[in-house]
Formats: sequence, C-alpha cells, structure tokens
Amino acid sequence: MDATSRPAVVIDNGSGYTKMGFAGNVEPCFILPSVVAVNESFLNQSRAPSSKANWLAQHSAGVMADLDFFIGDEALAKSRSSNTYNLSYPIKHGQVDNWDAMERYWQQCIFNYLRCDPEDHYFLLTESPLTAPESREYTGEIMFETFNVPGLYIAVNSVLALAAGYTTSKCEMTGVVVDAGDGATYVVPVADGYVIGSSIKSIPIAGKDVTLFIQQLMRERGENVPQEDSFEVARKAKEMHCYTCSDIVKEFNKHDKEPAKYIKQWRGIKPKTGAPYSCDIGYERFLGPEVFFNPEIYSSDFSTPLPAVIDKCIQSAPIDTRRALYKNIVLSGGSTMFKDFGRRLQRDLKKIVDTRVLASEARLGGEIKSQPVEVNVVSHPIQRFAVWFGGSVLASTPEFFAACHTKAEYEEYGASICRTNPVFKGMY
Amino acid sequence: MILLQSHSRFLLQTLLNRVQNLEKAVELDYHWVEFNDVRYHMLVSMKNPNIVLLSVSLPTPPPEVVFMSGLPFGAVEAIKAAYGVAVQILDPPRDGFNLTLKLNLAKLPPNEEHRYALLVKIASVREVVLGAPLRVVLKHLVSRTIVPASDQVLALVHRPKESFFLVSKPDKVTVVFPMRFKDSIDTAFATSFLQEFVEARHTAGLNNAPPCLWSPTPPLELKEAPAEALSANAGFVSFVIFPRHVEGKKLDRTVWNLSTFHAYVSYHVKCSEGFMHTRMRRRVESLIQALDRAKPGGEEKKKSPSSRSFKRLSLKDARANSIS
Repeated sequence: MDATSRPAVVIDNGSGYTKMGFAGNVEPCFILPSVVAVNESFLNQSRAPSSKANWLAQHSAGVMADLDFFIGDEALAKSRSSNTYNLSYPIKHGQVDNWDAMERYWQQCIFNYLRCDPEDHYFLLTESPLTAPESREYTGEIMFETFNVPGLYIAVNSVLALAAGYTTSKCEMTGVVVDAGDGATYVVPVADGYVIGSSIKSIPIAGKDVTLFIQQLMRERGENVPQEDSFEVARKAKEMHCYTCSDIVKEFNKHDKEPAKYIKQWRGIKPKTGAPYSCDIGYERFLGPEVFFNPEIYSSDFSTPLPAVIDKCIQSAPIDTRRALYKNIVLSGGSTMFKDFGRRLQRDLKKIVDTRVLASEARLGGEIKSQPVEVNVVSHPIQRFAVWFGGSVLASTPEFFAACHTKAEYEEYGASICRTNPVFKGMY
Repeated sequence: MILLQSHSRFLLQTLLNRVQNLEKAVELDYHWVEFNDVRYHMLVSMKNPNIVLLSVSLPTPPPEVVFMSGLPFGAVEAIKAAYGVAVQILDPPRDGFNLTLKLNLAKLPPNEEHRYALLVKIASVREVVLGAPLRVVLKHLVSRTIVPASDQVLALVHRPKESFFLVSKPDKVTVVFPMRFKDSIDTAFATSFLQEFVEARHTAGLNNAPPCLWSPTPPLELKEAPAEALSANAGFVSFVIFPRHVEGKKLDRTVWNLSTFHAYVSYHVKCSEGFMHTRMRRRVESLIQALDRAKPGGEEKKKSPSSRSFKRLSLKDARANSIS
C-alpha cells in the first residue's frame, strides 16, 4: 500500500498551541500547548571525571533521560508536581528556537499522540511567512532523516488560513490574513496564493502580551491571586471572559453602573497551600483585547493600532490588488477569538479608508467620484485552528502529493529542496 | 515514553468527551490511521447521539495468515467477552473496513470507574482484535495444552503483508519476528539495537524476563514456513514465553507487547536517530564556536547590520538573527 493512499498528517506548530491531526477531518485530533518538559538532571553530571563503571551507569541513565520527557498538558502537570523537569518552549515568536526540543516535540506528537508510523504518511507542516530558509532546511532534515517521512510540504500558515475559507464559500486565494497567535501577530497580504513578501507587517503584540497586560492590571488592583498562579489565571480570564468593546468610555460607565452584571468571579485553589481563593475580573475583560486597537495603553515603544497597520500593509501592496485585499480580510489564530473582534476591526478600518477617500475627493474638487471601497473582515467559527483546517483541506486534494518534496528528491539534492515550496496548481 | 500504550489516545479522548456531553447532540465523522496501517472511522449522527459507529480496518494479511470472514480467529469471541452488552458487531462491516462496532453509550455501566475502564478497553480495540489469536494460544499455555487443530507453526499478521510466527509446545511458546526495515540506516540501527536488546536480557535484574535471541538467519523452528515470509533484512528475533509470563493479569500486557514488537523497535530506532542528531547539532555548534573564536576581528563584525541577511548561518546565529 502506498503512502499517498493514506491521509496526510497535518501539524501546525504555533508558539502557544500546536494543532495536529489527519487530513480530511474537520477538526484537529489534538490541540496541545507547545511545551516540552525535559529531565535535565543527568546533563550536568556527565562532565565529571569518573571510572568506567560509573560512566556506564551515567551513560545508560543519560540514554533513558533522553526518553524521559513530556509534551503538552502532561509537561505542564509534570513541571508543577516535581522540579526535576525543566519547561522549554521550542517556538518563540513564531520561529523555532530550540531544535532539540522541537524534534522531541514532533517525536511525541507522532508516536504518542497521533500514534502513526511517520514512514506511512505524507506530512504537511506550517511556518510563519518570515521564517528563514535555513530553518526550513532544518525542518526538512529532521523530517527526512529522523522520521523518514515519504514526503513533506511546508506551507505558509497565512495561505492556509485563506484556504480554510475554500469550502465554505467559493475559492478565494486573494486576501489579507490577520494572524494573531500567542507569540506573534502578522498581517500578510496574499494575491492568488502568493505571499506579497515586501508588504508583510508584523506587530510586537500578540496573545501573550494580552495575558501579561491582564496580569499586570489584576496585580495593580491588588487582586488576591497567588504569585505563581497569576499568569495562568490571567490566561484563563482572557480565554473565558474577554471581549472587544466599541467604545472604552461607554464600557467603563457600563461596568460602573452595573458591576454585578459585568464583573466576573474567578475561583481557584492555591497550588502551594491548597487554600481556596477568589478574585474579580473587571475592566480587564475589555481592556485586554483593547491592546490591539490602542497599543499605547500597554507598551510605550509601539503605538500603531492594528487597523492602521492593516491599512498600511494594503497600501504598500501592488495597486491592482488593493481592492481585492480590502474585500477579503481573514482572521486567524487564537487571539482573534474575542467577541466582536472582527466587527470592531472592520469598523475602524472602514473609518480610515473612508477618510482617505473623502480627502482625495476633496483634493480633486468633487469632480470625479470614486467607487466606494468595500471593506470586509471575514471571521469564521473555526478561527482558532483555521490554519490547521486549511492544511487539512489542501492536503486532502490529489494535487497535494505532487507538490510535496519526496524522500527521493531529498536524497538526490539534499536539504536545500526545502528552501522553496511550490504553490498548489489549481487551487486558485 | 518507553512503551507504546495499548489504547488509542484520540479514540479515548473522543469517547470520554462524548460521554460527558451526552445530552448535546453533535455530528462527528473522524478518520484516522495508526501505526501498522490500522485505520479507524468514527461516526456519530445527530439523530442518535447515543450511538457511536466505530469501524476498524486491519493490515492486509500475507498469504500464510488465515482470516475468518475478515477477522483473525478468535476475534469475535474476544470482542464479546471484552465489551459485553454495550457493543454490538455489525454484519456486514462498513465498506473498506474489517469490523464495525455499534457502541451504545446509554448502556455503559453507571459506575464512574467501571465506565472508564470499559472506555479504555474500547479504545484498545486493536489489541482485542489483532491480539485475539495470540491470546488464545497463550491461554492454552497457561493450562499447558496445545491449541487443537493448529499445525506446528502458526503465522499471525502484525504489519501489512507481514507476519510473525508462533511455535507452541505444551510448556512454552516460541514467538519469532522477522524484522524488516525499508531504509538502510534504519536497518543498521535496528540490527545493533536488537543485539543490544538480547545483551540487556543477560543483566542481573532481568532474570525472569522471557529469554530472547537474535540471529541473522531464520531459526530452525521456521523451516516449514514459506520462503518469502523469511526474507528479513534486520534478522530474526525470537522470544520464549513460559507459563509464568502469561499468568493472570500479565496476559494482556504480554499480548500487547508482543503484537506491537515491531512498532516498538521502529519507535526506538527513530528515537536513537533523534538522539544522534541532537548530539551532532551540539558538536557542530561547539565547532562553530571554536571557529568563531579563531576568527580575527569576528566580534565587531557580528554587530554590523549587514549580517542580518539570508546567508548560510550557524544554528546560533540563526537564533540570534530570527526576528527579535
């Protein structure tokens, strides 16, 4: 039986969560935090000079330590319960930072979670649009050398997010992808499936910053949260209660008038003593997501709001694509999941565009009327794993297997084949 | 992780999820594939949220293995014995699958613990079905009899078009695995891994483990087996199982570990390759460091903006230069 007759494995490694599953399904099998807990207690001892027997003992201990690691939720649980495990986050800001940890992470994903034989399946992995070609080569090396995969495709995650809309409406491969994950936010214009590299904008604000901001707000208000738990509580508060408001001042008034309706309670148990505690979640419910629209409340060195960045990005794209780009602004990533995020973005962006159109009409003296620009922010229910879903859709088309780099090609030409990836034919 | 678990993680997770939200009707349609080409398909419809249709397809058997109506012998009895009333076997199975089970979630035991145990058992359906013949043979070993109406050498499928062999005697069962690997590097790794494996059996702590042997040529027990089943590029591993290895609760573990032995070896071959790469990366990094130290004036050059281009970088540079 040939590997092309089996569904491809689709793994989307994000800085916060990793989504993995088999092509052809509508949901990933697992969504896990991208974290590895490694037992490093053996590493430091190995340098000490010792006799042969001792060396052997340490050697075999070291070999076992090599298998002694956990990923995902298990890793978080392990590191909390014992201190022999060190947490390491293999992906930082959308880029692979620690290749050893990354290789182990993949190993566990494949063998322990998906439980598939990597030799039996084609693989589709994702990368951010600004990943260096070297990093793509390393990925290829690990996949072909360690796991012996028969074929590999490394897709740009924003193209996949666009492709996620492929089944819901007609196939539209032109648009701007606003990809706000946990570690990085990118605004990526895509025309006919090709990324317009020179216009990509990145923003130093992402999900993690929202969490940090909420943590800071709660700490400043003096909420009763234990220090070691405060980041987790802030993250949970963000995921469960945050929403986007249309006007901060009005929202403050609403909260002050009816605190019972708007202020949420959080109950937890202190990890060290086991004593229960509770705290309030108030203004941070709407102030957290506000970081994207008014960054100056969070950081002093970056102050361009997200709608302005998107506008700048589209304005720097080739002129004949701009209308199409405004028409299809696709949200992807967990940090765009806040309620009404898309609506707020569309309103703010429309305002910017309309002002510019009016200004240019005034400059021309009202003689020429331009066609109104259609601004459309698309959000879909599967936004959280839109990238994975797009991958699943693409990898289940017959063209996918032809577009992959195969093991034979790798053996013939080496890792440099992974530098470029052909865009699917017939997908746009 | 050193050993593979017997239950499918995804199946267990989905079932637990379903049981906890029984009142919410959802439509589920999942396909997935596990090692050794075991395919699953799970279907839940809006109309009957209590009913889960689970189809399993098994690896294609080689000619020397006999399947009875698409299943290994003893599988139907094993399923009935393991699952009881909550599970029904549908005949004929779904197109393209060997077995379709109809799970009625309303009939699960009300006791939390028993229910969990049963769900884990359902999630290990491949162990129940594929391990059934092995379990029959090993059960006879416990009572020190031979399976009636079976010839001396019994072939059981464990991978697509590949089988392993059982030679049963009243007081012991010899299990022989022909080991095959596709990649030449894998073959080399596996050969030395298996030799180490046999060596490790002789250490003091493992006196009670089943004796195991590795040889590059087929062992004498298999002289009657068909020739094409005996071409193995990584040699032959044989285990001798005594009644003490299959007593009571040990039976399930033994069955699972034996029927996934090839997957176990291939997992560890991949792990050792990963380990080698980790060490090679560390070595390259230290060599690059040594080179950098030897470079005259290398320190100032690093800080200039021109080094932020896409030229071939060392691992460390790539890390430093990735978007900050």
